[in-house]
Amino acid sequence: MKTEMDFEELMDEAYGLPNGPAKLGMLEEAARVADVNGMEEEAYEARSEIVETATFCGYPMKALIAFSWQLGKFDQQPEEYDEETLMWSYKWILGKMPDFPEISREKILELLEDFGRRFKSYGYSERSYWYYRFRIFMDFGELEEAGRSYDRFRTMDRDFMSDCEACEQDEIMRYFLLKGDDEKVLEVAQPILKGRMSCAEIPHLTLSEILMPLYRLGRTAEADKHQTKGYRLIKGQNDFVQSFAEQMDYLTRMNPAKGIDVLEETLVFATDHEDPYAKMLFYARAASLLRRWAEESPEYRLRLPASFPYEGDPGDLLKLADYFAEHAQTAAAKFDQRNGNRHVSSLIE
Amino acid sequence: MTASNEYRFQVNLSGMIQILSNHLYSSPKVFLRELMQNATDAITARTEAEPGYQGEVRVELTGTGEQLTMMVEDNGIGLTEADIHEFLAMIGQSSKRGQQALLDGETSFIGRFGIGLLSCFMVSHEIVMLTQSAKGGPSMEWRGKPDGTYTIRQLDTQLSPGTKVYLRCTPDAAHYFEPDYVKEALFYYGALLPYPVTLHHDGAQHVVNSETPIWLMDPALARSRRSEVLAFGERLLGEQFQDFIPLTTASGRTGGIAFVLPHAVNLNAKRSHRVYLKRMLISEKAENILPEWAFFVKCLIWTDELQPTASREHFYENEKLEEVRSELGDALRKGLADMAESQTERLQKLIRLHALSMKALAVQDQAFYAMIHRWLPFESTRGHRELGELIDEGETLYFTSSVDEYRQIHHVASAQSMLVINGGYIYDSDLMATLPMTVQNVHTERLQPDQVSMSFTDVPPAERNQYYDALRLADSALQRFRCRAEVKGFKPSDLPVLFTLSQESSTLRALEKASEESTELFSSVLGSLSSNMSSAGYSTLYLNVSNPIIQRVLTSPDDQMTPIAIEMLYVNALMMGHYAMSKQELEVLNQGIVRFIDWGLRANTDRKGDA
Repeated sequence: MKTEMDFEELMDEAYGLPNGPAKLGMLEEAARVADVNGMEEEAYEARSEIVETATFCGYPMKALIAFSWQLGKFDQQPEEYDEETLMWSYKWILGKMPDFPEISREKILELLEDFGRRFKSYGYSERSYWYYRFRIFMDFGELEEAGRSYDRFRTMDRDFMSDCEACEQDEIMRYFLLKGDDEKVLEVAQPILKGRMSCAEIPHLTLSEILMPLYRLGRTAEADKHQTKGYRLIKGQNDFVQSFAEQMDYLTRMNPAKGIDVLEETLVFATDHEDPYAKMLFYARAASLLRRWAEESPEYRLRLPASFPYEGDPGDLLKLADYFAEHAQTAAAKFDQRNGNRHVSSLIE
Repeated sequence: MTASNEYRFQVNLSGMIQILSNHLYSSPKVFLRELMQNATDAITARTEAEPGYQGEVRVELTGTGEQLTMMVEDNGIGLTEADIHEFLAMIGQSSKRGQQALLDGETSFIGRFGIGLLSCFMVSHEIVMLTQSAKGGPSMEWRGKPDGTYTIRQLDTQLSPGTKVYLRCTPDAAHYFEPDYVKEALFYYGALLPYPVTLHHDGAQHVVNSETPIWLMDPALARSRRSEVLAFGERLLGEQFQDFIPLTTASGRTGGIAFVLPHAVNLNAKRSHRVYLKRMLISEKAENILPEWAFFVKCLIWTDELQPTASREHFYENEKLEEVRSELGDALRKGLADMAESQTERLQKLIRLHALSMKALAVQDQAFYAMIHRWLPFESTRGHRELGELIDEGETLYFTSSVDEYRQIHHVASAQSMLVINGGYIYDSDLMATLPMTVQNVHTERLQPDQVSMSFTDVPPAERNQYYDALRLADSALQRFRCRAEVKGFKPSDLPVLFTLSQESSTLRALEKASEESTELFSSVLGSLSSNMSSAGYSTLYLNVSNPIIQRVLTSPDDQMTPIAIEMLYVNALMMGHYAMSKQELEVLNQGIVRFIDWGLRANTDRKGDA
């Protein structure tokens, strides 16, 4: 029986698969084959693919591990590898760092400086540095500092290494969301909602993010429309765990029955997710949703995925809600400790 | 000349043509499709007014070089002067409402006359249209130029009802005017049209679409005309198919033939189905008309209920499309179900070629899974087999959730004669997990690598006690690799040790390996991540008491020899399991080998000395 495939076969097979755990497994296998056989260039190639696949299907830790290896190799022999692709990946890695509470604030800022220094050394625009600084300080919950970076990055020139306009716009929108300025959130969202700005992830993310601002402004008819469309775009993709959380947050208030559908359809993605931040939000929103649903339909038994590590009775919705809430609070406490404030806890209260 | 007036479009026409050719249409060749669509609309309109009316489209090529001209004539409803103004004005009006308004809007016709006509400027510097409305009035001539000017005048003579469009080809469009090309293109667009399309050239004439198949409007009839359907599919789609499934929706307004592709297809392959709207080809790459999983077929589909996008190469993603898509999906599923019932060999053949598609569908649809599960292929410790055969073994079907896990344990598992399925490929572990819910009397169980030890024989405590010292030495030797030793008995007995690691310890290994290679900064970042999980991250080295060497290692503990032997067994297990080794582990391997050679040689010399 054939158990060992060669590198090319594995890569071919991986390229043929849609993004997801199966593809990732195939790529990891390819990297392993390359490592064992001392094929350094191939090992590097496989890891490039791992970084991209893992980043966009819920495995940021795997992405980080593969990227760290790549960067080490690159620094040893910079002439062997293409710096553009690697530096582009660096942005993904940097953007995910604050989602791991184990990584200290100081380390993250060191990474940011390393990133900025490298970008500068290749002559790229400093916009990327300031933009990521803006994002990181938002993640820390330090909005004043984020605001200063926001003012800087907006005036700088875009270049081919900049994030796309739609993604930047979405982050700007998040800034006003964190500041609690719902009117402004919707104003900033306009170009995205009108379809003037879009990319592979926008408006997917945006349509879930604006649900609560619309709800708070009483514009629920609009919100309902965006909810339906937004969910259709992200359904079945494990890259959007945070968006599922935002969907549940809104549906808890407007249509808990539909919220339960979302929970049952997406829990399997959240359970297996490597991003502690997205997972925390998901668990927190699931808890509130279950409490709300317990009032409405106390007899309901939640359908849990086979892999879900919960031993209790899925028919006891309040207990289940506690389970989710506890997980979320524990995670939030870790973030708070790292950030030195109560920013993250306040998001799930 | 009676009345001649010059008008101007209210838009920048050359800009518009630019937009059309560069962004809207995929190629200039679509001008012919647009003209055919206009003709089809005209004939449809006339048939509505005069039931039983027999339409016809004539295409004529005349002249050569700069005089090379194409004429496309239909005997449809024709246009009055007011119609002409209205159609042409539509372009100007819509442009004021923004591009989207121009492209939206429900109409009962396929084309939008004015815009369709504009596409002709991609191949001709002048368009001349002669038309006579069936409603009466004078015959009209319209001449348009790409700079946006056009003239309209009444003709002195009365033409018979219908429309003729004359195009004089530009030099770089000459190949679109070659008779062979035109004939091919006309068939391509008009193969399903219910009236004759003829090409006149050099005094000869061909009917391009001579045989309109009878099963077109009633796909159920296709079953009894197998060879005819396959031949038609080959002519139109250019592939030799061996099988097909007829499709219809409940309303009967959409139907088609799904030809089973004769070769395996990549899961990411672009779906490209050929779709006819009101029997006129609208798209050869409609991606969204069938469900995602249907990539094992190439379809001919005809419909009169969907709304084409502006380019008329796709359909608007709306509720109607969603409904049609799911009904076509049902029809396809039903076709497969029928095969499962009465033509299992046919289904088996299909599944062998398109296993991935079938699995994708089975994951979504339990009833379908139940129907076809026996023929789905899986990789197992009994080789590549169909699920039916594996079930017939009557054992628990263990499955792993990744290729990695499978690789770790399949040797040992098969020596234990456990039936393990590699669930690492896409859909496979999902299918295994849901199998018991789908099929009766089948038991499946997810197997973690460290669970293979379940089937190991435990060593009784008294015996284990004898090994106490050796095990302690082993544990302390393995400590720095975050691994612990355990004694078990297992098959095959010539396998001295087995190394297994959990998901978490596997991540840790990867973290450490990357950390060794990376920059200082990243190593310390990885360090903070790993410190959080190191408590749970132990791997296990099982020592096989059934193996004679291990027996010796266990029964004669030695402070010097045992740790080295254990370390060597550890790195050997890593090599056998094809794990990438860390620097530390490689060093152990190198030093160990040198040491053992040294000992071997020394023992040899000592013996010689004795002699």
